[in-house]
Amino acid sequence: MGLQATQPHAAVHLSLPAVPENVAVVRHVMLAFGDTLDLPRRVVEDVRLAVTEACTNVVRHAYDDDDGLMDIQIRPYPDRLDIEVADTGRGIGTSTDREGPGFGLPMMATLADTLEIDRTTESGSRVAMSFSRSAAPVKPT
Amino acid sequence: MSVGTTSEQSAVTPSTSVSIAAGPLVGPVLRRVVGMLAARADLPLDRLDDAILVADLIAARAPAHVRGDDVRVGFEAGDRSLLFVVGPLRPGGGQALVVDAAVPGVGNVIEQLADDLSVQSDGADEYLHVRLAYAG
Repeated sequence: MGLQATQPHAAVHLSLPAVPENVAVVRHVMLAFGDTLDLPRRVVEDVRLAVTEACTNVVRHAYDDDDGLMDIQIRPYPDRLDIEVADTGRGIGTSTDREGPGFGLPMMATLADTLEIDRTTESGSRVAMSFSRSAAPVKPT
Repeated sequence: MSVGTTSEQSAVTPSTSVSIAAGPLVGPVLRRVVGMLAARADLPLDRLDDAILVADLIAARAPAHVRGDDVRVGFEAGDRSLLFVVGPLRPGGGQALVVDAAVPGVGNVIEQLADDLSVQSDGADEYLHVRLAYAG
């Protein structure tokens, strides 16, 4: 978690109860963010999908049946967008929930330019993603 | 127009909060969050519009009165109601924010739309509490 101390101030910081309906709030905020910064639509959709996965992980795995918060910080730079999704629950990857295809982390890794995961059982988990602000050209198949 | 000020900070600790760097992101982000929360609080469409109008006014006027560089708003959704807690604000900022929200020919919009309006102070900072509800 040492990176957090050196991170610049977030442009947007959301703190929300980790419940399914709040994932939609985060998705809406990302849309507003993309519109305001005039980000390419493909970048916005990649960001929204990756952030949805990160928030869904928090909702499903971080707190079991307890109440808890998910924390989203967004930092725009001239060339990239950094996003952190954090919780104070039991940490990502320690879930006993075996249901679901398990595509979340690979999908986030594919969508983001960089992906960093901190996981501790003491202080929860933190997923840090970085996205280029310019959409890469679609590769011909 | 004078908004009642109490010197004790409210016992309300909003479960949802958003902090936005003062600038062009405040309005778009705040209105999206408020729209979602107002809909979830089961406010009818006219009160949902009122909530978004209050959010727009806060976005436009609060940056001049906040403590620091961020506009911070906490939310607590109740039974057909939504509470905004705006702050920390500078001393006198709660009252000034409400006064700044006056529109010529219309009057003070926040005051007219809010069911409850108060300024809470913890000594150093102020917090503007705005509650919108639907009586049914």
